[in-house]
This record gives sequence, structure tokens and C-alpha cells, in this order.
Amino acid sequence: MAQELTFFKRRPDAETSRRDFLTRIGFTLAASALASCSRGPVQKAIPFLNKPEEQTPGVANWYATTCAGCSAACPLLVKTRDGRPIKIEGNGESPLSGGGTCATGQATVLSLYDPDRLTGPMWHGETITWDEIDRRITERLAAARERGVVLLTNTIVSPSTTALIADWSRRFPKFRHVSYDAVSFSALRQATRECFGTAGVPHYRFDRATTIVGIDADFLGTWLAPVEFTRQHAARRRRALSGEMRHYQFEAGVSLTGSNADRRFGMAASDHGAIALALLRRIAAHAGITEPLPDVDAAIDEHAIAAAADDLWRDRGQSILVCGSNDVSIQVIVHAINAILGNIGATVDVDLPSLQKQGDDGAVDALVEDMNRGDVHVLMTYGVNPAYDLPAGPEFVRAMESVALTISFADRLDETAAHSHAVCPDHHFLEAWGDAEPVKGSFSLAQPTIAPLFNTRAAQESLLKWLGESPDFYSYVRAVWRRELYARQDRYHTFDEFWDHSLHDGVFEDPARGYRSQGSARLDPERWHAAARAIAHDHQRAAAARMPDSYELQLYETVALRDGRHANNPWLQELPDPVTKVTWGNYIVLAPSAAKALEVETGDVVRLAVGDHMCDLPAYVQPGQAQRTVSIALGYGRDRAGKVGNAVGVNAFPLVAAHGGHRRYVRGDVVLQRRTGKQLPLAATQTHHSIEGRPIVKTITLEELLSGTPEVMAPQPSLWPEREGGEHHWSMVIDLNACTGCSACVTACQAENNVPVVGPDEVRRGREMHWIRIDRYVDVAPDNDAALDVAFQPMMCQHCQDAPCETVCPVLATVHSSDGINQQIYNRCIGTRYCENNCPYKVRRFNWFQYAGNQEFDYTTTDPLERMVLNPDVVVRSRGVMEKCSLCVQRIQAEKLSAKQEGRRLADGRIKTACQQSCPANAIVFGDLNDPESEVARLRRSRRHFTVLEELGTRPNVGYLMRVTNGEKTEKPS
Amino acid sequence: MSDAAREFIVARFEDERRLIDAVRAVRARGLRVYDVYAPYAIHGLDAAMSLRRSRLSIATLAGGIAGLVASLAFEFYAAVIDWALNVGGKPDNSTLAFIPIAFELTVLGAGLATVAAFLSRCRLLPTMNARPVDAAVTDDAFVLALRCRQTAFDRSLVERLLFEHGAETVVSKVIEP
Amino acid sequence: MTAPVVARERRAVDFTGTRTATPWIEGEPTLREISDDVIRPLVTRPGFGWWSCFAVALCALLIGVSAVAYEIATGIGVWGLNRTVGWAFDITNFVFWIGIGHAGTLISAILLLLRQQWRTAISRSAEAMTIFAVMCAAMFPLIHMGRPWLAFWVIPYPNSRGPLWVNFRSPLLWDVFAINTYLTISLVFWYLGMIPDFATLRDRTEAGIRRAVYSVLSLGWNGSARTWSRYETTTTLLAGLATPLVISVHSIVSMDFATSVLPGWHTTLFPPYFVAGAVFSGFGMVLLLLIIVRTVMHLERYITIAHLEAMSKIMLLTGSIVGFAYATEFFNAWYSHNVYERYTFVNRVSGPYAWCFWTMAGCNALAPQLLWMRRVRRSVPALFILSILVNVGMWFERFVIIVTSLHRSFLPSSWTMYRPTIIEVGTLVGSFGLFFTCFLLFIRVLPMIAMWEVKAVARHASGAHV
Repeated sequence: MAQELTFFKRRPDAETSRRDFLTRIGFTLAASALASCSRGPVQKAIPFLNKPEEQTPGVANWYATTCAGCSAACPLLVKTRDGRPIKIEGNGESPLSGGGTCATGQATVLSLYDPDRLTGPMWHGETITWDEIDRRITERLAAARERGVVLLTNTIVSPSTTALIADWSRRFPKFRHVSYDAVSFSALRQATRECFGTAGVPHYRFDRATTIVGIDADFLGTWLAPVEFTRQHAARRRRALSGEMRHYQFEAGVSLTGSNADRRFGMAASDHGAIALALLRRIAAHAGITEPLPDVDAAIDEHAIAAAADDLWRDRGQSILVCGSNDVSIQVIVHAINAILGNIGATVDVDLPSLQKQGDDGAVDALVEDMNRGDVHVLMTYGVNPAYDLPAGPEFVRAMESVALTISFADRLDETAAHSHAVCPDHHFLEAWGDAEPVKGSFSLAQPTIAPLFNTRAAQESLLKWLGESPDFYSYVRAVWRRELYARQDRYHTFDEFWDHSLHDGVFEDPARGYRSQGSARLDPERWHAAARAIAHDHQRAAAARMPDSYELQLYETVALRDGRHANNPWLQELPDPVTKVTWGNYIVLAPSAAKALEVETGDVVRLAVGDHMCDLPAYVQPGQAQRTVSIALGYGRDRAGKVGNAVGVNAFPLVAAHGGHRRYVRGDVVLQRRTGKQLPLAATQTHHSIEGRPIVKTITLEELLSGTPEVMAPQPSLWPEREGGEHHWSMVIDLNACTGCSACVTACQAENNVPVVGPDEVRRGREMHWIRIDRYVDVAPDNDAALDVAFQPMMCQHCQDAPCETVCPVLATVHSSDGINQQIYNRCIGTRYCENNCPYKVRRFNWFQYAGNQEFDYTTTDPLERMVLNPDVVVRSRGVMEKCSLCVQRIQAEKLSAKQEGRRLADGRIKTACQQSCPANAIVFGDLNDPESEVARLRRSRRHFTVLEELGTRPNVGYLMRVTNGEKTEKPS
Repeated sequence: MSDAAREFIVARFEDERRLIDAVRAVRARGLRVYDVYAPYAIHGLDAAMSLRRSRLSIATLAGGIAGLVASLAFEFYAAVIDWALNVGGKPDNSTLAFIPIAFELTVLGAGLATVAAFLSRCRLLPTMNARPVDAAVTDDAFVLALRCRQTAFDRSLVERLLFEHGAETVVSKVIEP
Repeated sequence: MTAPVVARERRAVDFTGTRTATPWIEGEPTLREISDDVIRPLVTRPGFGWWSCFAVALCALLIGVSAVAYEIATGIGVWGLNRTVGWAFDITNFVFWIGIGHAGTLISAILLLLRQQWRTAISRSAEAMTIFAVMCAAMFPLIHMGRPWLAFWVIPYPNSRGPLWVNFRSPLLWDVFAINTYLTISLVFWYLGMIPDFATLRDRTEAGIRRAVYSVLSLGWNGSARTWSRYETTTTLLAGLATPLVISVHSIVSMDFATSVLPGWHTTLFPPYFVAGAVFSGFGMVLLLLIIVRTVMHLERYITIAHLEAMSKIMLLTGSIVGFAYATEFFNAWYSHNVYERYTFVNRVSGPYAWCFWTMAGCNALAPQLLWMRRVRRSVPALFILSILVNVGMWFERFVIIVTSLHRSFLPSSWTMYRPTIIEVGTLVGSFGLFFTCFLLFIRVLPMIAMWEVKAVARHASGAHV
């Protein structure tokens, strides 16, 4: 039977294991379920001949594993239905991520079903069997035994993989492991070595900081471990409601972090050194350190810096300064400041550092030279795509020609794999065993959640195989854990017990983690004086070199695409950037003044020239952007990502500069020129960012809150007699003080509710389908457009008790449930769109076309493989019907049912909507208002609680908690 | 009915004034006017023939009431009794919202009833062989018809009378009822 | 002789101020001549003028048919609508056409009750116009649905799906009933008026198919005085019913907007404002049609300058009412002190769609003021241009109300722009095609002037009646 199914043809040598069988069952079930709603080809549903253990059709199984979306390696729980992973959720057991995820992590489940993945090994572009390719590789490796064998990877956070690499260096004397990160932290690592002896990225603890100062470090969006940091930041902000806490951000572009800061200052990227120096000068003065520091004449806001420095000093020991620059000198100064403040060991942990971002830019540059010299005979690339994400990508490709054997473990024929002799496709992480230690002492395990869909093999198993050992990474990981970790704990008395519990929980904390030493906090002043001199010198050189008409360029990662490895993921491509709300492609961000100077508006094409490298990008005018600095996102412009990611935007990696052996994401020698008449309209989901003085997002200052205002709003009178409700009254409250706008909820909702991807053209027409959106409102100071106040507001169906949409539907396709949900009945809807017009919140989404299974919208539902990700509990909507947030009614029903079956009361907090579960800031609370003790009922009694547009008398069941700011007393929107 | 019974005196006039004079004169002689045929409604003719006022308006009222009651009853049944739903938090019996439809159906009922009553009362039905007393009455002729078999009927006298009042032609012919 | 007295009575109720001296028919045609003139188009071959008009109308209709076919085959997405602007051309056209229809009922019913003789010559074609306009209008709610093949779900029919009815609280459902009632009553009224004329046709045609058809249509009408008397009662009763009906229909249409929560829609002013607007645009369209017809079909004798002038006076009146309504809306917005309401109206006059607003204000409020001048009222070219302006203006009025209120409502995050696609324009063109095709066919196969009514008036004019 299975042979009829298209995608198994890709697997000629399929031997039928239990997992394989389940996969096929799962697929056929899904496909046949879909056939009814998506007019797709009808597939047979094959019943279980004898029911496998742990598999009940219609009941989800959950597996704990670890995310490989980025190096933060967040622990996950993966929901599988009938053998198919369909939803990713954060693992609450984790002390780091605390059950949160990010948009990228949420979207990784879709990459599993990416039809552009390789279905088997390839040799010189020809498909080949594993045995054959293993034979050829092992004999070439044998030949190269005494010669250079190089494994080029990104940061490896897996202890087992690290151990395996160690095995290789034992076996091959000339073996070298070179790692680099597409977005590099190598300067920070070096600065740490210079200051504290050991290279590494400290582990930051924002939850312990009362004063946070960030210099171009987007730690809530993309920097290092955003999920963990968002959790910490939100936790700290909650505690701050009863006391002082202030977050300063100095940055060139407008980042998610800057948008959430209490006080944000737009300052040119080239002045970050000057800012660090100014901070140091003032703090040193506070600390009574008298050695003079070199002066830097930069146009920076001395008042702001003084204020920040004073707060840092006042809260010394519980303050934190982070900087995103990849300049050693600046990072040394930052370390120095933290050291003087006594933050080392308190909020900045260098003893148990983060193990992310171990890449070494110098090493990879050296590697290219070795390759050209012919010293490298075998090159294996794993987890990196140098042909795309190295600034010197073309040089690297040329250098590959002088390597006897190049092997890529890429899961697709990407830019590098296309030039490799052998491609040994790695599993998707949901198909593979593994482990991770993103922060020293915090371990997590990864286990397969589905049998490999294709004829792929874990990179580690290939490495084992080529070492001549049995290609069984599972046993290898077990062995490593037995060797390294079992001994560190005394809770479990047999290893199997330890292993089973770790596998079940997904995480393991080294009990010794609590330990802290302050010893390394001492810092030799000479270090930072040298650094200060270097900064001053660089600054002068840059100032001298600057041409009058030149701009500064800052390269950054977007929350959705990061370094571009997920470019083929339609959910991420269509995720609106939290700051610009633009989807599908990158653009050049200009300050309004710069835009005026260039006579461009948003959407006009600007030609950017660095030396002889040119690229054309649409402009995006952003209040808050530093005057002379323009920003471009990395991660776009792939040519070999796949059907979705190819030719979306422009690749900005070639614009990355180098300085002292480190990548530099800032450069000052950029010339801009308007391409007259050329337009590239951006696909933005929100084009108007001013709140027009409307009381939609309510914001109060900390003073106001502590002084008792505002009073609780009296409930609005209703013309209608109160209808008696049902057993429950579902309600949701969103804390605007915790929400950072990171948009993880948007992707989570898309995954949970089968929300279609519609593509850039439809987004341009204002037809994105997301059920939840993050509204962003900006209040720009009239005098200075670099100072701005940003408010984020997640907006989905407000489930009004007196819903305007319900009254106007002629066929009763939207009505109110007894438990407070505004229901949409798809198969009754005839699509008059009257409800959409009459919805004050504009949260309803209309199926303008048949999206599912339509070749015109070839994103997530055309290929049967892609459809495996669909949630069988949620209808795939057809053309011509209205849809909207259902408060994840399928989850509510499931929990109600299980409570009933188990004969218990439905406990508060049991039901978690998809958006709520994914939120790293725990900003979303869902529950039953009929239970006065429930969390949601408590929050609705809060003085900060308000509902949007309550003067309309719609009585929403979704409420918000007011934003609390602690900046200067300036006019806030509201 | 025998031919004698269906025999009529048919006088043709060329305008409404003469016709009405003739009608008055004939009736003054105690003769019953069988009917008058004209290309349009002649004002004052009703009085001359002393026709009773039409009772069609009763049908109108009945139809209207029927429409009103039926629609209100149905709306109440559907929205309150049979399928009460929470729609926008409004009460099941949102009477105000039921009124527009009730009004429309009232008008519809009244209108259709009126027309139905009119057509049936005047026996206006699709027919292939309508036989007007004179093909010209639907164009420009005004015709007065008297039944021959009636008391005080004297053919020569009547003919003279009609001619006196400006009849163009006076013929006797058989009219199918 | 009581004739002068009667004439004086007529004058007394003649609110257009025209004297009975004014010839509603030029010359002194005999009754037979009237029949000849009216029937001529039905029996002669159409001239070049008619053919060219018909060709144009048919092309437009075909454009519309293909546009709608493509839309239904592909999805509403082929229109320019989006998540914020859910209605635009579709409902604009719907309200526009409904409005056009209203003049017909007004002329045939209200003016009948007011005993306006001048309506007689034009009532027939006005009623025809009503019916065709309502047909065009009814098309749009159908094709604007996401799943038009399920349109019948708006009808509360007994079904086997358990209790499953419709939402009697929804103004859209009120529309369904209002429009169907309106169409039915108008059709009945129209047909009723034609029965005597069918009889005339029947008696003037030799035996044959045409005659057979006319016989069936004329329901065996024989011109009996008794029938005539009941006939007058019936038409008066129907007129009495149609008058509140026509007002209710456009009031209900306006409630689609008035009962919503949207700033710019949510206002109690709408029903009277919409009714006046409907009459205004309707008379604009009647004027346009009659000016064309009287020249193309050579009926200047029956559709006289006096007719045109009478209608232009009503346009002046209703146009001024509409202009006043615009002003009231702005006053309310300012007086309400509601930030959303105020912004909506500021946005109308100064926002991205300001040009639509000013087109509307110019065509509807200012242009008709020219009609204060008798010279303009009696100049056919001037009236021709004015009537076109009025229709353009009234189309834009609906567009402005719908789109400018939707595209920037409560939450600025959802503000968007709407741009129509070629498909939407094609559909609009098509609706005009449908309308004119029907109308041109009508004037060739049916007596476009109520002969019996004109004959009666002709007699009154010549003082021949009692």
C-alpha cells in the first residue's frame, strides 16, 4: 500500500520498522482527513492491523527534545499525532527557557516536512547508496590519514558531538575542528580571555539586574539566547512593579530590545565605543579610579549616558551592561565596567559561561588560506553554509576546488553542498538523537519524534561510521551521559533510571551549578586603558576616513530569519518583523532625515555601494534610526534554500567587514543613491504606526502606578439584559508590561490552527491570515526622532460578550457560546464579510482564495509531505469563508474531555492556548472567569486591567494589563 | 341562454362627453345600461352609471394583516422557540429587529392580495380569445351596450334616443357574456 | 359645464406649479394618433440610433458577464478588497442601483397619489427603469459573497439540519426581504399598468403569434367601465402601498450602515438621507434616459420640455436635501466630540480619498443649484450633463461612505488603502450593460408610454372631459 504514496518513492530501500509503519499510517490518515477539506487527491486511510503500544488514533503523544533552530538549544516538548510531529512547545522543566519558545523554534517543525530536503546521499550530484558513499569516503579518508582533515562547523553545543569530534582528532593526527558563527561573537570571547583568562561568552542574568544598559545588543530579539533573556527580563519587570527597575538602550537601528527599553537612545553605530568609554569614565569617577582616559569627540548624548552610568553605579552588583559589538576593545571596556560595578559573578557569570557562539573568525580565515595552499585534503562542513554566510563566500568556494574531498552534511543542496563532492544529508533534529549544553552545567536531551522521512543519516552517525565504529549515535550519547553526567548526581541509583528520567524530563541540571567564585572579577586596569586607547585611535581613523556623503551601515539579524538558515520556512518568511512589520524580504532602514536627504520614501529603491560591491534594496523609513546609520538585515538573498526562500531579498553577508581578525557588522564607508523611478513595494502587515492619540494601548508610568492611579474602571452599562452563561466563562488577559512583541505567539498560532501562508503579493494587498497579530504603536518625540516610545499590543479576536460581528451575520455563521467564546462556523459562512466590516478590532480574516492545496499558493499545503504538519484537530478552511481566533477551542475541548473522563474538576491553568504556551514572557494568561480564584479572574480585577474600545460596549473577554514605563516623564500614547 | 337573451344594442360614440350624456338619457328612460366600454377610465362615469364603490380595500387590509401576523409569528418561533442563540448578547426576542421584515411582508401580503382580488373579481385571466364588444374600444371608441330583452325596451325609440345623443353608429349584436 | 372647476382643482394640487395650460402633450393628437405614435416603435424596424446604443450596451453586458464569471471561478480575491476594507465596489454599486430604482416607484406611485398629470407620459418607462435597476442591484449582494452558490441560505426554508434558521437581527437579511418585496410589488404594478395597453395592441394586430401573446398578456381586458373603476381603485391602493415601501427599502439599505459600530456608518441620519439621495439619483437617471429616448424614439411630443423641467425641480429639491445631510454629518462629527468620529470626517475631506469626497460634494450639492435658473431647467443639453453629473456624484457618495469609513476605522494598526481591480470595474460596467440592454429591449417590445393614461390626459388637456 505504501508504495502508492508519492513521497515513499523517494525511499527505495525502505525497510519497514515500527516507526516507518506509523509514519505511513500517520501520513495516510492526515492526507485522507485533508482530502475532504482541501479538495486534494483522495488517499486511502489504512487502519492499524494490530494497534501499536502508545499509539491511539486521535490522541497526541508528547516527546521531550531539544531545539536546533539556533545555538540556544531550548528544551522542547513535541506534540505528535499518529506518528507525526505537528506542534512544538517549550519545555517547562527548563531553568533557562522556562517553557518559552521563539518564532524560529516554533517554525522548525515545518522544516521537517520541507519538500526541498535531500532524500538521500549524493556523490558529485548523483544519488548514491549509503554503503557506496561510505566506501568511497572511508578509502579517501584512509588516504588522507596523515594529511589535513578539517571539520568545519558552527558552534557545537552538544557534549556528545564534541566528544565524537575529540575521537576524530585522536584518530586523525592532522584533524582540525574549525567552528565559526554566521553572526560572530569572537571579539567578546577574546575580550573575556584577555580580562578573565578563559575565552567564552558570559552567561547573563537580566533577572538579577535592577539597571540594565544595552549597547546595540538585541538580547530580547536575536542576541545570544533571546528566549531565556526575555523570560528573565519579563520576570524582572514584574517584580519591578513594586519597585525601581530601568532599562537603557543605546543603539543605531531600532531593535526589539530598544523598543522595550524604558529609555532608548538612537546613536550612530560608530559611537558605541565612545559610549562605552563615557560610561567607564563616569563610573570610574564614582569608583574613585583616577587614571585619565583618552577623550573621544563623538556627538553622543552625555546626559543620557550620565543618567545610565549613575543608575549602573547606584545598583552596582545588581546592574548589567551588555554590548553587541564585535570589537575586542569595546567588549574589554564593557567587561571592565561590569567588573568595577561588581557585576561579574552576580549578573555576568564567567565561571559557568554560555557555551553558545564558540566560533573563531580568525580560524576560518586561516582555513581558507590552508585550503588554497592545498594543505586540506578532506573538508567536512556541518551546520554551516560558508558559501552563503561567509563575507568571502566566493573565495571559499574557489578554495574548495583545491580540496581533494569536500563533504557536506547539509539537509538540502544549499550554496555550499552544491559545490561539495559528497553530500551526506543530516536528519532534521526531530528525527535524531542528540544532547546539548548551551550553558555550562545545563544539559538537555534530544530524541527522535518520528522515523526519518527520507533516506538521511545523522551527521554524527556518518562520522561514527567513517571512524569504523557502529553508526549508532543513540548508544554514543548514552555512553557519554553515563561517563560524564551520571556521576554528577546522586538522585538516581542506576544509570537506566537516570537516563529514563532525563529523557522524560528532557533536561538535566548539574547540581554543582549553584557554585560561584568572585575571584576572576579582578581586572588589571592596564587592559582597559589599552582598549580605551585603541577605541580612541579607531575613532579618529574612522572620522578621518569618513567622506561627507557616506553613511554608516549596520547589519543585523531579524527575529524571524536570524542568520538565514531557515530561509525556506514560509511561516518565518511571512512572520511580520516585530519592529517594521515587513514580511518577505529585507530592505534598507533609513532615518527620516536621511530619507529626506536622499529624497526617498518607504518602498523606493536605494542603491547601496561599498567599494565596488553594489546592491539595490527598497527603503524603509524608520523613526528612531540613528541619523547617519542605515541598517540591513542578514539572512536573506539565498539562491539555494528552496522553492520558498530563493531570491527573497538580498544577501548582506558580503557587506560584513573584518577588523583585527573579527567580523564587523558595522562599517562607515557606505554610499547611498536613489534609483529614480524604481519601486519595490514592501509586504508590510502594518503601515501606520502612530496611535493618533487614541486610548487603545494604555500606558502608565511607574510613579503613577505606585501612587495608586488609575482607579479600576467601572464596568460599562449594557442595553441588554445579562444572558445567563454556561459552566465556564473563558477569558484571556495579556500583560502589555511583559509582552516584548517577539511574535513567537504568531507562529505558534499559525502552527496550531493551520493558518495558511499567502505570500508577499497577498500581504501587500493586506490579506495576511494570521489570527493573532502584534500591533506596534510608536510615539515619536517631535524634536528628536531618535527618541521614541514603542508599545506592542497582541491583537486577536477579543471574543466580545456583545459582539458586533454576530448581530450582522445573516446566516448565524458567527454566534456566542455559553462559555463566552465568539464562535465562527465555517461551513455555515457564506462570506458576506459584514462581520469583518463591523469588527472594531479588525481581527477577522477572510479566505479570499482557495489557499489549501492551490498551486498559486505553493507554500505549505500543496505537497502531501507539507500537509503532514497540519493539526488534525483544526479544520482547514476553504475558499470564501471567514475565520479568526477561536481561543484554541480544540485545546479547551480536549482538556474538558480529559477532566470529565478522569472525573475531576478542570483545574485552572490546565488549558493553555497556543499563543500562551509559546510566550517566553508568560504575558498571556487564559482561564475561567467563573472561578474567582483563577489567575485570569485575579488579573481582571487588577488596577492595570483594561479592555480595548470598551466605550463601544462590546465587553471583550480578552483584556489587557497596562504598560508600565519608567522613563522620563514624557507624553506616552494613551 | 337563447340568442334573444344575448342580443344587445351597441352604440358607438366618438368622445366621452356624448357617451356620458347618452348613459344619463338612457337611464332616465328607465333602461338598464348593460355596460360601457372605453379606452381609458372616464371620470364621472361611475356616478352616471351609479356604480357601487369597490370593496377591494378589504382584501388589501386582510392581506396586510395576514403578512404581518405570519411574519412576526415566524420570526418569534424561529428566534425564540425553535432555535434561541446568543447573538451579540441580544435577547432572544429582539422584537425591534423583527419589525423591518414584518413590515416588508405586510406590504407584500397587502399588495398581492389586492391584485389577486382585482383580477378574480373582474375575471381577468390569461385567455386566447378575448372578444371585446368592439375592437376599437381599446383604442379610441366609446361604446354603450344595452340588453334588448328588458322591460321598457323599444328598439326604434332607443335608437333614436342614442342618435340624438350623438351616437355614430347603433347596431344590434350578440355578445358572449 | 364643470370643466373649469375641475381644472382649478387640478391646479390646486399641482405642486410643480405648472399650469394645466402647459401642454403635457404637444399638439392635439387624436386618441388613435396617440396609439399610433406609442406603438410605432413596436412595429417598425429599429433605426441606427437604437442599434448603436444596443450594441454598446450588449458589449458592456458581456464585459460584466466575463468579469463575474472569472470572479466566481477564482474567488473574491480578484477584487481589491482586504482584511480592513471588506466592501467597496460591490456594495457601492448595490446601493447605487437600488437608489436609481426609487425614482420609478416615486413617479408611478407617489405622483399618482398626488394626481400629477405630467407623470403619465413617463411613468411606464420609469417603472421599467425601477425593475431593471433593482435587478442590477440584486446581482451585487449575490456575487459579493465568498460562496455565492450558497446564497439561498439567506432564505429561512425548512430543512433537515435540525433547527437551522437565519438571523432576523441582521440588516443584510432585512435587505433580502425588502428587495424581494420591492421587486415583486414593482413588477406587479408595472404589469398591471400595461394590461389595457396590451389589450390595445391585441386589438390592433392581425391574428397571429403576436396577437396570441398579447391576448394572453391582456388577460381578456375588454375596457368595461366596471373593470376600469375597480382598476383605478387597485392602482390607487397599490400606489398607497408602494409609497411607504419605497421609503422603507432605502431606509433598510441605509441600516446596513446605520446599525453598525463603525464611525462614519453609525448614524441615525442615514435613512432620510439615503431616501433623499435615492430619489435624487433616481430622477437623475430618469432624466438621462428620457432625454436619450425622446430623441432616439422621436417622442418629443409626449415627453416635453415641461416634463424635463418638472423632474429637474425635484432634483433641485432632493439635491439640496442631500447637500444639507452632508453638512449635518460633519456637524454631528464635530459636536459628538468622539475622536474616532471626528477623524473619519477629517479623513474624508483631507485623506487619501478626499478627491472622491469633493467629486461627490461638487456633483450632488453644488451642481444641482444651477437648476434655480429656469434657462437651465429648460435646456436639454444642460439637463443631460447635469443628470450625468448627479449619477456620478451619487455613485461616489456611496463609495465615500463605504470605503473612507472602512479603510481607517478604530485601530490605526489596521489602516489600509483600497484600490479597485480591473475585474471590479468590469463588473460595474457590466451592470450598466445589463441595465441598458434591458431598457433598450423594453422600449422595442413594450409600449413605453402608458397609452390609456396619456389618452385620458390628452382629453383633459383638450378640455373634452366632464
